[in-house]
Amino acid sequence: MITKEAPAAAPAPAPADPAPPRRPKKRPAWDEVPRWQIYLPLGVYLVFTLVPFYWILLFALRPAGSASLVPWPMTFDHFEKVWNDRAFGTFFQNSVLVGVATLLMTTLVALAGGYALARFDFKVKRVFMLALLCSQFVPGALLLVPLFEIFAELQMINSLGSVIIAETVFQLPLSIILISNFIKNVPYSLEEAAWVDGCGRFRAFRVVVLPLLRPGLIAVGSFAFVHSWNHFLFALMFLNNQSKQTIPVGLNSLMSADSVDLGALAAGGIVAAVPVVIVFAFIQKWLITGFSAGAVKG
Amino acid sequence: MKISILSTGTRARRTPAVVALGAVLALTATACGDDGSGAGGGKGAEGSGTGKITFWDNNGGIRTAVWKEIIADFEKANPDIDVEYVGIAATEYQSKVDTAIQGGGLPDVGGVTASMLAGFSAQGALEPLDGRLTESSLNGKLNKDMVESVKAAGGGDGTLYSVPSSANNGVLYYRTDLFEKAGLDEPTTWDAFYAAADKLTDKGKNAFGYTIRGGSGSIAQAFDAMYGQSGITSFWDAEKKTTVNDPENVEALEKYAALYKRVTPAADVNNDFAKMTAQWDTGTIGMVNHNLGSYTDHVKALGTGKFRGIPQPVGPSGKRVQVSNPVDGLGLFKSSKNKEAAWKFIEFATSTEQNSRFNESAGQVPSNTEAADDAWIQKAEPTKLAAQALNDGSTTIVQLPYYLPDWNTLSKSESEPAFQKVLLGETSAKDFLDDLAEKLNAAQAEWTEQMG
Repeated sequence: MITKEAPAAAPAPAPADPAPPRRPKKRPAWDEVPRWQIYLPLGVYLVFTLVPFYWILLFALRPAGSASLVPWPMTFDHFEKVWNDRAFGTFFQNSVLVGVATLLMTTLVALAGGYALARFDFKVKRVFMLALLCSQFVPGALLLVPLFEIFAELQMINSLGSVIIAETVFQLPLSIILISNFIKNVPYSLEEAAWVDGCGRFRAFRVVVLPLLRPGLIAVGSFAFVHSWNHFLFALMFLNNQSKQTIPVGLNSLMSADSVDLGALAAGGIVAAVPVVIVFAFIQKWLITGFSAGAVKG
Repeated sequence: MKISILSTGTRARRTPAVVALGAVLALTATACGDDGSGAGGGKGAEGSGTGKITFWDNNGGIRTAVWKEIIADFEKANPDIDVEYVGIAATEYQSKVDTAIQGGGLPDVGGVTASMLAGFSAQGALEPLDGRLTESSLNGKLNKDMVESVKAAGGGDGTLYSVPSSANNGVLYYRTDLFEKAGLDEPTTWDAFYAAADKLTDKGKNAFGYTIRGGSGSIAQAFDAMYGQSGITSFWDAEKKTTVNDPENVEALEKYAALYKRVTPAADVNNDFAKMTAQWDTGTIGMVNHNLGSYTDHVKALGTGKFRGIPQPVGPSGKRVQVSNPVDGLGLFKSSKNKEAAWKFIEFATSTEQNSRFNESAGQVPSNTEAADDAWIQKAEPTKLAAQALNDGSTTIVQLPYYLPDWNTLSKSESEPAFQKVLLGETSAKDFLDDLAEKLNAAQAEWTEQMG
């Protein structure tokens, strides 16, 4: 600290030493934090998160009419009922078909669209990007009647194809934007080098770019699958025959106007949730990589 | 820089092709649909009386099994007619039909409750059925009150747009075991109801006297309590102004809303029927108001020995007054290209045997007067008591104005959040009812003007 000396002729009382600058409090190292300060909030959060799931399991596994807080005696009657009597086996197959087909179509088209946006400059590129973004603000319900008329013209009402197409179309804008960001992260020089080595554009993309897009593809594909798996409105409106319906519609049908079988509803909920949980359990590593890769486009 | 080719050869070249082919095959395999014919505005045709018809069940899921039995019997009796059954959840039915009215794809026959009739008939989607009923074997066999109720609900021109199949009714379910333990008598009057609700409440032991419906569907239940206590027997007065904000109704609603948190769980403010009946079935709650539809759920949860379902309590006048429950029925859509076969199905489904079978499964009051005498009704106590109450002159029904096109909006999306504010003490019962009355009077005036 620099202090100015007072002139000798006019001595003045020495100013009080200014307060020393505040030192920032030393943050305790991660391993110095008492364990309870970590585990208590986490525990409270976990309780809030897991209790609803426990409640679903409880209703699904305890006998009808039981008020027990533990699923004992345990019964699988509700699962048997929804799977066999309420046709959840069929709904499950249909949902898998819709989910996988939507995943494939969304990923394929998003790859093509994303590549075009990432690698080519064209006149209306900005407008096109803006249109893609704006399309996210249009709720599906608004387009129900026109979509219904289009599918009726195409004789696709009561066909899973109508749901797959509608789901794919609604997934595409966000997927294209995501994939184009991932592709922009892959240096163009890699592709150029492949061309020098004799690859065509498509082959260069397939052998050089595509393998590097794995996190992005997994992120986009899993979003498409999970969204179409959970989506209710299009399946409700475009599918009539019970043999064509999907799990969300089946779940909804477990509640009537004035009666509800909570055990069956809980069992149906678990049947609906398990595939999504499994999908996320397998892909979480790539999914997180995918998110961060897409977020730091440079 | 040399780029190594990561994967070459036939396998790599095939991958995109296989993926694309898979997607195409998946679409092809699933694209066996139909054109969704049957737009709302179409005039349809009588047809040959044979072939395929489609039936949309407006309460699909729970009732699917009994409808499939009825359809199997119908197809056996009419081997040249095939019925395609489509079960649609009650909560989504109206939006699905509205979409089909606009975009095409209506069925031949559909379940239509009285509360939906005005909307569907106003869009010209339903076929008038008076003539067909007159010439039918059903003529004279259907409950006259139910027929009048659906006629009144159909838009006000007195046309019959649906054949009634069943009636629901408000029921007060109470736990007989808890009442016995507390030394309470059956809550047959509103005074006894309030006294029991207070006596059965012990919040420290998580015991409550009543569970109130504060969420979806709360208004009809609140109206039941209001008109039941006030004894007012008509929704409109002589000047065609609504009676909802009559001072006696205001006082009744204040008393009813004051039950919230005093004798009910605090979470009741969000109760729809599912939450309300579920907590009654699994908790220690003395009473719940619901309709006949949840009787089987209560039996599953509690058995038959722990509860009873009785008609609504009577008011100080000694007369029971209830608001109307929507009568359920079957409508023939105007766009049907096979109306003759569709009508045959409606006739069959509301015949004595089938109407009895359906209502036994649904636990509701049959519309077919011959079915109403069947033995199963004597065994299902709430249904028996409801049928008695509706038929023996002890009950006056206040007809809610289902014919108003705005009724569903006014009584649900606009009023339910406002009623929650009454429960929470943020609005007075008077302000809530005055506001609702103003809107109802405006809707009624508009409707009267439109009808000429």
